[in-house]
Amino acid sequence: MSWYRSAWFRWIVAVVVIVVLAVLPLVADPFANQIIAKIATFAVAVLGLNVVMGYAGQVSLGQIFFVGLGAYAAAAVILSDWGKALGFGGIVIAFVLAVAVPGVAGLLVGLAAARLRGLAIAMVTIALPLVGVPLAKRFSDLTGGAQGESVRFSKAPAWSGLYDDQWQYYVCVVIAAVVFALVFFLVRGKYGRAFAIVKSNEHVAGAMGVSPYRTKVLAMTVAAMVGGVAGFLFLVVNQYTSPDTMGFGHSIELVISTIVGGAGSIVGSIIGGVYYVLLPLLANQISQATGYNTQNVIEGVVILLALFLLPGGLASLPRVIRRLARRRRGHRVAGGTAAAPTNPNTK
Amino acid sequence: MRMTSTGRRSMAIAASVGVLALALAGCSRGGSTGGETSTSSAPSPGITDTTLTFGITTPLTGGTAGPGNCTADGAIAYFGAVNDAGGVKFGDGKTRKIEIKTYDDQYVAANALTNFQQMQADGVFAAGLGLGTPTNQAWREAAIDAQFPQVLVMTGDPTFSDQTKSPWQLGLVPTYQMEGEALGKLLTTDGKPHKVAILSQNDDYGKGYVEGFKDGIAGSSNVTVVQELTYEVPAGGAAADVSSQITQLAASGADVLLNAVSITPTVINELKQMVSIGWTPNLLLPSNTNSPGGILLQDGVNAAAFPGIYTTAFSAAAASPTFATLDGGQDFLDDIAKYTKQQGVPAFPHCVWSWIGAQILEQAFEKMTEPTRESFMTALRSISGFTPTLMLEGTSIDTTTDGHPAVNAVVTQKFNGKGYADADSLG
Repeated sequence: MSWYRSAWFRWIVAVVVIVVLAVLPLVADPFANQIIAKIATFAVAVLGLNVVMGYAGQVSLGQIFFVGLGAYAAAAVILSDWGKALGFGGIVIAFVLAVAVPGVAGLLVGLAAARLRGLAIAMVTIALPLVGVPLAKRFSDLTGGAQGESVRFSKAPAWSGLYDDQWQYYVCVVIAAVVFALVFFLVRGKYGRAFAIVKSNEHVAGAMGVSPYRTKVLAMTVAAMVGGVAGFLFLVVNQYTSPDTMGFGHSIELVISTIVGGAGSIVGSIIGGVYYVLLPLLANQISQATGYNTQNVIEGVVILLALFLLPGGLASLPRVIRRLARRRRGHRVAGGTAAAPTNPNTK
Repeated sequence: MRMTSTGRRSMAIAASVGVLALALAGCSRGGSTGGETSTSSAPSPGITDTTLTFGITTPLTGGTAGPGNCTADGAIAYFGAVNDAGGVKFGDGKTRKIEIKTYDDQYVAANALTNFQQMQADGVFAAGLGLGTPTNQAWREAAIDAQFPQVLVMTGDPTFSDQTKSPWQLGLVPTYQMEGEALGKLLTTDGKPHKVAILSQNDDYGKGYVEGFKDGIAGSSNVTVVQELTYEVPAGGAAADVSSQITQLAASGADVLLNAVSITPTVINELKQMVSIGWTPNLLLPSNTNSPGGILLQDGVNAAAFPGIYTTAFSAAAASPTFATLDGGQDFLDDIAKYTKQQGVPAFPHCVWSWIGAQILEQAFEKMTEPTRESFMTALRSISGFTPTLMLEGTSIDTTTDGHPAVNAVVTQKFNGKGYADADSLG
């Protein structure tokens, strides 16, 4: 058995990661904390998309709509008079609604769309951001209209003794960790198996007693709720939202991030979040150094490379490397002693 | 004592975690972070005895990249030449070079906020000149919290010049209301009957224009608004399809169109369609979508078909034949060519605006007596009666009036086939 597969090694990695994540914001500079909080936010958004796209195999181009809807739902509560009067309670209600409102929207869309398949579902989901942006501008009393609205609620409370960026970091990372854990258990349990079978063949799923319709509705609802959480986190780190938050372009970027990170992978969702947040920053650095704006070029090259070389996304990189290494070892063995008896213990 | 193998492993894990935690916690956060009040003489971040770093977050890519790049390039050109001549002599007696750092926000609000946070990490002294209302709004309150100057922003949103709401901000360009009002007044002067159709984007920009325009025509007997339509601006500065609105407005029989549209490709499509359906009213164009080179002289746009194209301006147009003879005109063209990647004469007025903004900044730098952000804001708010080069006669800079952006007046102009010339009435 390989050492990196052993249980104790995994425990060590988990503990080290937790400790680093817990201590890092206390020593890192504010910008690093703000960036990591944003990564946590968009990793959650990508995770939601992964539930419906990576695990259940339904292309969704509307994930950003649920992110924006979650942000608006939370903002509406926090900015309302009763929300302000409730203080921390108001923020809790804002969080609950940021999950519930997109959840209901996802359920309704799912009930209508899940009867369709493949491209048809993708088309229905395209409509969401396209309709969402003008709606957000129209209902300016609720949304602040086209110029957006400031929602200053995530300053560090005095008792914490933290800077604002540290507080926002902890809020985002902790909530993101909980959501990741919940989704991890969801996709590994009964529902995860249902997602997988619906993804591979809906007829077989039906024959096994798994309703493709219900499974797809469930996946879309969960994706929308997870997207709503990302919307709440978006508000925590940005303290501002505008119709642009749910723009169609961002939805495509989320899909690209999912593919680059790795569809149907928990780690891939984190990598997707990193990619989504860091790409514009990297492009900025290059443009400052060279004077050329390269974001679209980098994005194009990265997605082509991912599709050709790593169809499983960056998350599949270790697996691909292991496979290549094993193949080389295999060649050497085969070339040396052709009739070597195979060891039944090695797989 | 013998431990089981599992016990030893957990001990080892616990020990290494402890060491790691101690090691990480040992290096405490260095430097000062936002919120700490500095004593009056301690320099703010981003300023040394020899340099000052000024940040610009603006769309450098995407649908508004043309004007966006210009908002940075004017200042880059101006300070490029100033730096090569030695730098700016500040009010505290030191001479500093001005380093401009640009950040691309793609007209996306969340990116603009990230850029602001990166500016703080990069040690930028102050920022501004950037284009866009939502993008500037996205970091307005964060800048106030950090007591960080966000100045001479290129948005007509009056919020930025309201000192109570925006103590660390100042707008550069005239508000939408100011421009709309000037266009309204233009129609009233000739006394002839005018039927006006209004197309406006459904946001603060469009509403501000329409509000100002109606103020301008209030009380006049010769101007009537026959139809008003709005449309939604797509995210990211993309072109909108307003063809159905144009068809409806054409049916109204109006002889004047107030076109409160801020996105360049949308205006180009619109003008093409109007010519193709044979509706060619007088056009009233806002200052940021009136570009001769960027819009009116584009392939397929037959600007000559319209009886008159009017706009407001406070700055000289770089494409005008007399531009090079103006005070500072040739310098502008030379420095833009030398220090930026603009191809030829810049097509958008934002390059000249940015050049004017840079001169206002220079004034403030020369007036600031301490190397602090507070001193900079005080100096910036004390400029009046200043006329930078390339500003039109009848306009000037006054930063001392609360509620007003730095540019305090606009003049109305008519398109003459190549550029714009002053015009007081239609015809």
